Amino acid sequence: MTLTENLYENLRLELRRGCLTLAVLAQLKQEHYGYTLRKALAERGMEIDESTLYPLLRRLEAQGLLTSEWREEEKRNKRFYKLSADGEQIFARLIEEWNAINTSIANLL
Amino acid sequence: MELLDRYLQAVKKHLPWERQDDIIAELRANLEAQLEDKEAELGRPLTKEEAEQWIKQLGSPIQVAARYQRQQYLIGPTLFPTYWYVLKLAFMWATGIYVVARVMTLAAQGSSAEAYAGIALGLPGMWLINAAIITLVFAVIELSGTQFGAKIAQLPPLNPGWSPLDLPPVGASDGENKPWSFAKAVAEVVFGCLFFAWLLLVPHYPYLMFGPGAWYLASLPYKLAQAWWPFYWSIVAINGFELMWKFADLTGGAWQKRRMWRHWAMHTLSLIPLGILLAAPGQQLFLAKSAAANVKTLADANLGLHKALMIAVAVVVLQIVWHAGKMAVESYRKRVAA
Repeated sequence: MTLTENLYENLRLELRRGCLTLAVLAQLKQEHYGYTLRKALAERGMEIDESTLYPLLRRLEAQGLLTSEWREEEKRNKRFYKLSADGEQIFARLIEEWNAINTSIANLL
Repeated sequence: MELLDRYLQAVKKHLPWERQDDIIAELRANLEAQLEDKEAELGRPLTKEEAEQWIKQLGSPIQVAARYQRQQYLIGPTLFPTYWYVLKLAFMWATGIYVVARVMTLAAQGSSAEAYAGIALGLPGMWLINAAIITLVFAVIELSGTQFGAKIAQLPPLNPGWSPLDLPPVGASDGENKPWSFAKAVAEVVFGCLFFAWLLLVPHYPYLMFGPGAWYLASLPYKLAQAWWPFYWSIVAINGFELMWKFADLTGGAWQKRRMWRHWAMHTLSLIPLGILLAAPGQQLFLAKSAAANVKTLADANLGLHKALMIAVAVVVLQIVWHAGKMAVESYRKRVAA
């Protein structure tokens, strides 16, 4: 990988990082466990690696944006995540910010 | 799927120890659901090559586990897994080399018990110097820029060229954590009884232990000192005690329970026979049987055995401390999980 490609990759990942959090919060307005969340995001065009998504869920939960519970489904114990009350508030504010950035970028381009 | 089990086991090793079980349970549920979907789509189980390919694209175990680590500041998240790995290796090797080298030096000099105790007192200082040097080196690498740090992260064991097929088999590292089957427990008691009977017969029929060599040994002008009898009976008592313990577990329906505690207790008891030999009067474990005995050979043999016993005691003590540490960590993890 050349230096330019390396730089592009770093910037792309940086750009995606915040968007991923927003996408995950948006999708967790309804309850999901890790794998179905990943599928639901992929179906909407937001592909996320397992090794990125699953630790991200843990971090968001530790920050109080998500709640989780272990429950059995289809004879297997799964950890289900959902947006917490705090998460809903922060998500609403982040969406406002997202829309503002989108508008600005559209004006700049 | 066995390959998935091996992968999860490898990831677990590098996870924060207090959250290992929880993270692995979640990861397993997600990956198994994904595997089911893949197989349903194909209408057949994955081939070995497909399974290898799938697991490989999940990422190397150390990198996947690294995502679950808390943020570090002195050494960044890219470098930290390598730093931690090197630190653990260095601790292990440095401790082993230090202890063996010091014990051998002291044994050769015929030093006192206080000198041996000094080995343990020197350990913290040695660990501290090791940790300081390694931390300093990695902190410098971290500070020297992301370009260099990224190159380091490509070195083994973080190398992307890893293969899931190279992972150790399931249970190779923590076999004692697996539940014991009834058949294994019965076999253990049966073979324990046979071994016990063999042990009781050995003094009367030495060829059971030495084979034809028993007659040759009997012809030598040397004999065993009296200290070997209490040594022998202590071995018999310890084996009898362990056998009864196993039998009680079996009849009490507790053959599946964890065996760490028993293992540790038996290890500790093994110090008794070693101590009996070490306390032999004048360190004389072999004696002359006739005038044909070579006095120098006899003295050398007694001295050599005494030194070997000292080293054996040091090794057993280290193992006892190591197992006690493992049990303490295990018990703490259980409390955290509860």
